[in-house]
Formats: sequence, structure tokens, C-alpha cells
Amino acid sequence: MSRLINSKSATGTQATRVLGLLAIVVMLWVVVSGLVFTPQDVVQGESVRIMYVHVPSAWIAYLAFILTAVASASWLIGKKHSMGFDRFAGASAEVGVMFMAITLLTGSLWGRLTWGEFWQWDPRLTTTAFLFVTYLGYLAVRRLDGSAEQRARRSAIMALLAVLEIPLVHFSVVIWRSLHQGATVLNPSGDVKLDDLMLFTLFSGVVGFTLVFFWLVLHRQRTMLLVDVVNSRGLDAAIADRRAEAGN
Amino acid sequence: MDLSPRPSDQPDESGAVSSSSSRPKRRWLPIVVLSLLGVGGIVIVTQFLTSAIDYYCNVDEIGVREGCETTSRLRVQGTVEQNSLKKTETKTRFVMTFNEKSIEVVYSGDPGGVFQECIAVVAHGRVVDGVFESNRIEVKHSNEYVEKNTERFETSGSAACSQAQG
Repeated sequence: MSRLINSKSATGTQATRVLGLLAIVVMLWVVVSGLVFTPQDVVQGESVRIMYVHVPSAWIAYLAFILTAVASASWLIGKKHSMGFDRFAGASAEVGVMFMAITLLTGSLWGRLTWGEFWQWDPRLTTTAFLFVTYLGYLAVRRLDGSAEQRARRSAIMALLAVLEIPLVHFSVVIWRSLHQGATVLNPSGDVKLDDLMLFTLFSGVVGFTLVFFWLVLHRQRTMLLVDVVNSRGLDAAIADRRAEAGN
Repeated sequence: MDLSPRPSDQPDESGAVSSSSSRPKRRWLPIVVLSLLGVGGIVIVTQFLTSAIDYYCNVDEIGVREGCETTSRLRVQGTVEQNSLKKTETKTRFVMTFNEKSIEVVYSGDPGGVFQECIAVVAHGRVVDGVFESNRIEVKHSNEYVEKNTERFETSGSAACSQAQG
């Protein structure tokens, strides 16, 4: 820990630098392909390009929240209650909330151009907003007073409950009649009605956003580790002070 | 040796009041944020989610399905029929069809955006003398994404019709 806290680039490693470089290369390709190479859509025209950000960010938000739940379950089930799982859960949720915000923002812009409205309380939009608010609540729970173990236990339980909303969000367009269109790629029939280069660029976006996600999570969880180390040192110092007082 | 937290306003053995600077001062903040989020969530679920479930009635369900009564304001979904679109300075008229049932729609204004023939729309309004008088039109995009093809577009007269015809 002391080696980590004294290091000049405490949250970076050779692996994260390679990951970051890869993310930059893939995202550059997504930007160029999305803005230049891919064609306009026959109905939407240029606004179809929003899809290359909107869809990957939604999927990565789902991935982030699922990983949060998996890490939370690992913390709860594990005999050692490793705080590494808790930090990973927290970092993943934070980055997931960021991607969910991007999803809502880009979706709103696309909605204005296509539906004629920035927002409508239709099933997909409403459940997505609810998912976003739930994970804001999860982040608030992580900041409640208490020991690291209390934080981990409370947030782990909440993460396991909150992740249940994801199927509701994804299948809201199937369960109810929605203004939002049904899934194009992850649809139950498996018939993907998307031109080849559009599909390739979309998947490039998913790969790029995934790399960005892991890069951010790795750095964030190491930042959290440093905070825990500092807090732990503060506690050690307080105990030492009390011992010194008691010894006087 | 007692290591339990010491109250901040209680003097220590030297008589000085201990500093509370190391303790978090904003304990109320997460509770307020949580309360606001909770209230927000409840409002969303009770006020908006209920009206959002089944966002619209289809054209063939007007006056037939529960919740699609002609006496109330409705959201109706259907496809803008080809060659039915007529625009004047103040009104847009078209025929909306779903499942072989049609209704004439009169919209006050120009829907704009990607509104066109052969596209699915959701019209907000009321049925008056058999005509759906709408004051809001939302274009309901399908889950198909097709490259714009100028030649096909020109022969069909509408991008959405060219897509529908394949």
C-alpha cells in the first residue's frame, strides 16, 4: 500500500496505459467512421449518427450495473469480504451512471430530431430514468456515514436489488407499447435490420466504450483504494494518539 | 483503554475542547439526497409510469378497447397512408391506418421533422365527428436502419415509402 501511495503515477500501470491507448485508437475510428464513412439513414438522415454513441453507452451502463451486482455478490458471499470487490462495485457504478447520463442526453437529442420531442414519459424512457435515479441513490448510500464494512454491506444489498431493473428497462419496449423503437440488434427474432457498415461502426463503438469503461473503472477503484489507505492511516494515527494519551 | 469516539464538545484531559475538523460535518446531506431521490422515484412511478404503460391505442382499437374510448383524449398509433397527405398553410390532413382500419387526422400546423407518408406516427388528440383532431404528432421510428438511396427515394416519392416497399 505504501508503495502505491508513494508512487508518482499511483493509479496507472503499464496495462492501463496500453488499455488507454487502445481505447483512443478505437474511439478515433468510431468518430471517423460514424461521422464520415457511414451513410445517412433513409428516414432519419444525419441524426442516425447519434446511434453510435447512444446505443453503446446504454449497453455499457447495463454492463457496469451488472458488474456492480456481481462484485457486490462476491463481497457478500466471500468469506474474507475483500474490500477490493466493494471498491470495484462502487467504481463500476460511478462510471455506469456517467454512461447512463450520456444515454439519456443523446437519446433526448435524437428524440427531438425524430419524434419531435426531447422527452416523453413512455415505458422505455421512464424506466431508464428510474434506473438512473436508482443508481444515483446507490452512490448516495455509499457516502453514508459508517465503517467501510457497513458501506460495503449496505451498497451490496442495494446493488443486488437495483440490477433487477435492467430487464425491465430492456424489455419495456416488448412488454408495453412504447414510442421508443424495439431493439435492433438484441431483438428476440435475431433479424438485425441494420446496414453492414452501420452495424460494424456500432460494434466498434461498443468495443471502444468498453475499453474506456475498464480504463476508467481501474483508475477509479485505485483512487478509492488510496482514499481507504489514507482513512486507515488516519485511524491508525488516532489510535496511536489515544494510546499515547492513555500512557501519560 | 477506551478507544470509543470522543464527543466534539467534551473537553479532553488537558481541558481543551477537541477539534471536530476531522469528522464529517455534512451527515444530513446523504439523507436529504436519498429522501429527494426517493420522492422523485415515487413521483415517477405513480404519476408518470402509469400513464406511460401502453403509450398509445392503435387505430383499430378506437372505441373498442378499454382506455381507447372516443369520449376521452387519446394517443393513437398508425401509419400515414401513401398519397393521403395534404398540407395547407394552417392544417395538415392525412389518413392514418393500422390493421386495415383507417381514420382521417387533422393536425393544426406542420408536424415537421421526419414526418412523411408511410411512416408510423402517434397522434395526440380527440375524435370529433369521426375525424381525429390532433394537436401533437410524434414520429415513431422503426427498428430498421437503411442506407439512404437517392434513386429508390425518387421513384417512391417518400423515403419511408421506399423503405416500406423494400
